[in-house]
Amino acid sequence: MTIKPYVTSFVLQWKIGLRYRLAVLAGLVAQMWFGAISLMAYAAVYHHAPGVDAPMTLRQAMTYTWIQQSLFTLLPLGCLPAIGEAAKSGAIVYDLLRPVDLWNWWLSASLARLLGNAIPRAVLLAAVAGPLAALVGLNGWSLAPPASLWAAILALCSFILGAFISASIVMWWNIVTARTLSPLGTYAVGTPLAVLLSGMLLPLPLYPDWARELLLFQPFAGISDIPIRLYMGMAIPGGVLTALGIQCFWLAALTLVGRFWMHRTISRMEVQGA
Amino acid sequence: MNAFSLYRRMAAASIKAQLRYPGTFALQLIGNFVTTLLSFFGIWSLFQRFGSIAGWDIGAVAVLYGLVNVSFAIAETLGRGFEVFGGEYVKTGSFDRLLLRPRSTLVLLLGHELRLRPIGRFLQGAFVMGAGFWLSPHVSWATVWLLPWAVTGGAAMFLGVLIGQAALCFVTVEGLEVVNVLTYGGVEAGQYPLTMFARWLRRFLTWALPLSAVCYYPALAMLNHPDPLGMPLWFGLLSPGMGFAFLGLMVLCWQRGVAGYVSSGS
Repeated sequence: MTIKPYVTSFVLQWKIGLRYRLAVLAGLVAQMWFGAISLMAYAAVYHHAPGVDAPMTLRQAMTYTWIQQSLFTLLPLGCLPAIGEAAKSGAIVYDLLRPVDLWNWWLSASLARLLGNAIPRAVLLAAVAGPLAALVGLNGWSLAPPASLWAAILALCSFILGAFISASIVMWWNIVTARTLSPLGTYAVGTPLAVLLSGMLLPLPLYPDWARELLLFQPFAGISDIPIRLYMGMAIPGGVLTALGIQCFWLAALTLVGRFWMHRTISRMEVQGA
Repeated sequence: MNAFSLYRRMAAASIKAQLRYPGTFALQLIGNFVTTLLSFFGIWSLFQRFGSIAGWDIGAVAVLYGLVNVSFAIAETLGRGFEVFGGEYVKTGSFDRLLLRPRSTLVLLLGHELRLRPIGRFLQGAFVMGAGFWLSPHVSWATVWLLPWAVTGGAAMFLGVLIGQAALCFVTVEGLEVVNVLTYGGVEAGQYPLTMFARWLRRFLTWALPLSAVCYYPALAMLNHPDPLGMPLWFGLLSPGMGFAFLGLMVLCWQRGVAGYVSSGS
């Protein structure tokens, strides 16, 4: 088995993601706006209730929010658009006829699209929310550096696992699209699910206590919540090993079940179109 | 046929078209309802943990949240044509065809689609708002007329944003997603009490985009809640008018844009 076709598929989607520079800037403005509103809300809430023993400090909540905002496009909001198009037009047969492993082929394309969208935005927003904000005197509102060198290394590994988890969830949306022949359903379900369960809407540690452990042990937490906690050096029940263990578990489970489901779907698929 | 009955026919055709796929329609409606309800779950969790949002109780915040969502849902229902204007009319050149028709372009674009999907957001907002009034101790009698006045003012303001967004497409051809900061971002900002924000943002949200004028100040008047920043309560009785003023301003921009329109078509 050669790896070359998957690299090609990755590079193609990666280049498509980098093509739209104006969209990157537009996204930056939107992310700054949503980030600023959340930050002011958290600041008001924390300052007004100084006695409350919150699971994360205000400073941590702000760093958490900035990283979440910068990684917005890393979330599995729906299927890969190219596959949605192909399912509608019937061009999906070309993908089925290729002499490659279909799961890896689509996975490398999905991963490349997520990373190609997310990395430029994340770097830009991190530069603006981190060093630049500190330079203009908004130190209290800025993105804090990692807790330690060790935390930075752990977080990097965790972010990489997170990107793979996200791409695997996109694979599930791709399979749903291949089944239903329309990408709309995956966006309708995927976007709210991803926004809520990843911690984009509200940091997962701030949810009511009864929900917190449940929220930690679901696949979307592995995308950005767990890496961010490692980055800030926050305590996770069970420590670093549990954190990475949860991520590896979900990556393995999503891949194994997903592969099985994909083969079943493909074997009974009827392609539409001429 | 006058403009109004023309619009009614276009709207009826649009509704029929959307109901042609009842399964999809029901799913989208439920999806819309659940999505927007989830966003209130986030706010509710903050209350669970901190007891209040900067001294505001959950009743007041629920009313704010409901007001801004109901207003935006109405604007979203009516203004779909303006939302897709850049991609579907300017870029393709099909706006030329609209100009040939002996009707106002505004009416024709309003008739592009009467979108039923935002009903989910509307119902959910109304539901949260009802709960908010029920939880608030001093709801004023003025609510009876102030509520519809504030909601129509808010819908007018958001429709103004959509028309302004479309007018901008005469310059940029493609729709700019940055404007979403004012629509979806406006909804996000409007659901929190204005006092939480920094001064520059408070000024922007009152005098540039009159979001607080259609949402925060009328809500204060309805709940008999004095403004911590010292704006007198009667301001909230008049301020929804600013939403209509904003709409008027955006319609002027639109007309200037149409007058200077040069086709990009094939």
